[in-house]
Amino acid sequence: MNDQLYVIGVGGTGMRCLESFVHLCAIGMLDGQEINVLTLDTDAANGNLQRVRELINSYRSIKSGAVNDGGTPNQNTFFSSKLNYYHYHTNYMDQGTRDNYKNLSRVSESSAADENQMLSDLFLDKETVQVFDLQDGYRAQTHLGSQLMFHGLVEAARNLASGTNISDTEKSLGEFIDKLEQSGKNSRVFVFGSVFGGTGASSIPVLPSALREAIRIRSKGSDLDLKDVKFGSTLLTSYFQFTKPSDKQKQNTKDAVIASSAFFPLNSQAALQFYQGDPTVKSVYNKLYHIGWPLESRSVDSGKSETITGGANQTNSCHFVELVAACAALDFFTAPNVDTTGEANYVFRTGQYENGAFNFRASDLVGVEGNKDQKLISKLGAFLSLAHITLSKNKGGFGKKGFLGLKIHLENAKIYTFKNSITEADLEQLDLYMKKFGYSFTKDLEFKSGWIYQVRNSIAPGKFIFSNEAFAMSIKELESLDVGKLFEDPNYHWEATAKVLGMGGDTFQPWLKSLTDIEVNAEEHQLTHDKEKFIALLHDGIMQSQHSQK
Amino acid sequence: MNNYILLPVVGVGMLLIAALISNIIKYEGGANPKDPRKRKVVFWLFFVLNPVLTYAVGLMTSPASGIAKTKHMDSLPVGLGIGVVVYLLLGFILSKVMKTSKVGNWF
Repeated sequence: MNDQLYVIGVGGTGMRCLESFVHLCAIGMLDGQEINVLTLDTDAANGNLQRVRELINSYRSIKSGAVNDGGTPNQNTFFSSKLNYYHYHTNYMDQGTRDNYKNLSRVSESSAADENQMLSDLFLDKETVQVFDLQDGYRAQTHLGSQLMFHGLVEAARNLASGTNISDTEKSLGEFIDKLEQSGKNSRVFVFGSVFGGTGASSIPVLPSALREAIRIRSKGSDLDLKDVKFGSTLLTSYFQFTKPSDKQKQNTKDAVIASSAFFPLNSQAALQFYQGDPTVKSVYNKLYHIGWPLESRSVDSGKSETITGGANQTNSCHFVELVAACAALDFFTAPNVDTTGEANYVFRTGQYENGAFNFRASDLVGVEGNKDQKLISKLGAFLSLAHITLSKNKGGFGKKGFLGLKIHLENAKIYTFKNSITEADLEQLDLYMKKFGYSFTKDLEFKSGWIYQVRNSIAPGKFIFSNEAFAMSIKELESLDVGKLFEDPNYHWEATAKVLGMGGDTFQPWLKSLTDIEVNAEEHQLTHDKEKFIALLHDGIMQSQHSQK
Repeated sequence: MNNYILLPVVGVGMLLIAALISNIIKYEGGANPKDPRKRKVVFWLFFVLNPVLTYAVGLMTSPASGIAKTKHMDSLPVGLGIGVVVYLLLGFILSKVMKTSKVGNWF
């Protein structure tokens, strides 16, 4: 597989799927790959967008050497993929000129104003859809959203082609489509987004055509044959709900339309009918992954009196289905071949449901081909162990310096390889990433779930790979946690010290000891600087402990 | 037994006990681990205890009286000195040879 890989996250749900995907890269599920990531949104201030942007920047910073270039791809270690980050958001900021459809389209200004207005009125309600504030997204108005997202990308391409008034975000989009144009038919593009909401649901159907059009305009004639490029996406149906908009909130013209999660199941049904029947989608996308949540949707904003339409406050917790979506991208990228002939393939998997909860196995997410399920268990378990080593054992989650403790441990064992080459700032970046992955405590000692805790919480009381103890939330429990015994299946537990009179029997001590004995093979891991070597050492130590399991 | 042999053997025994205790001391997590210092303290504590204990062993193994006792007492300081040197020297070598292990914290 020599294809260039592209991931596009669209809208709030798309961003959270992307978040899961970045964590899969961090645990090392896509060894040796360089992945071009584009975030696409209408709302530059969206909390979920900010969160994934910070996550990607943190990832890139960890991988970078002397220059902040995102590093290089590595083999069989953590953070083994290189992520190139690009971003684009539509501009609906300018009040009075670009803040709603009416102002943006200027339907009433052209020579054919009457016809344009009538046509607009036919599809878009004049009193609500044409006047609501676009800054927070398309608010489940996908008929409007598809048109505007297409327009946004085309407008950006026109600005890029003319070379004038190019914003930073348009420049970034330009770099992304340049890469896509260069790799042409050797490209695999995976789009994350929901089919039931606003921005993602609006964009998924039109995105391939919009990218093609943008390339055509940008490079003045060059074309991207959509038949050759491999496109994949999620058909992610309703899985969360939020507070209904109050009448008072709806009285504001800007909020004339507010998405209501009560309609999400209906939206999902309509969208699936569309994806099942639309010839353009079926001919452009090669693989579509059906992902749904059959249980009652979880509320993402309990206790709120009004609907959060977007902005910095929209920071919904992560959900298991987003991890499933990320695994769909993994499947798409690691498949030896993607069939570009004929219509789209629709893919789904199922999980075991009993006693009112899902108990997922790794194979439910990634299958068993090529031992992918074993790899997921091993890598995710290894990374969670590293999270608990740094956050719980070394107290990084309680405001201390988790990774610095590991560096000092090596120096105490007279291993000075990293003494001058890795700074405290480098290690703080790793601490920061681990907090995003695992957990942290606020200054007031309030527990704050990171990604894996949120994902685990979304399927509780169901289970997935790890034991309940692995998700302890009190300081006392976390401090006494055994980092090598996180799995539900004891066959995966690490080697422990001998237990005498109820003392000993822990796995942390042998692991720390193993760090001082391991020689990291830089060539085998394709490492280019000491920070990568340090990470590979921690990885190898954990892998060795996993293999010495008792 | 001859003090020149017995007392260095006692020194080696002390060293082994120091190594055992050092290995029992757990690695501590965090950026300010105290465990290397604790191992160092153990080594030097036994270094100080070494002549005291060695002297006591020398006294206990001393013949009751006569020339044998005189000879024994005359050789005691030398044996004691050898015991201390052996403890220090072997401790240093052990620490440097096994520098990444817990006894590596001694020096």
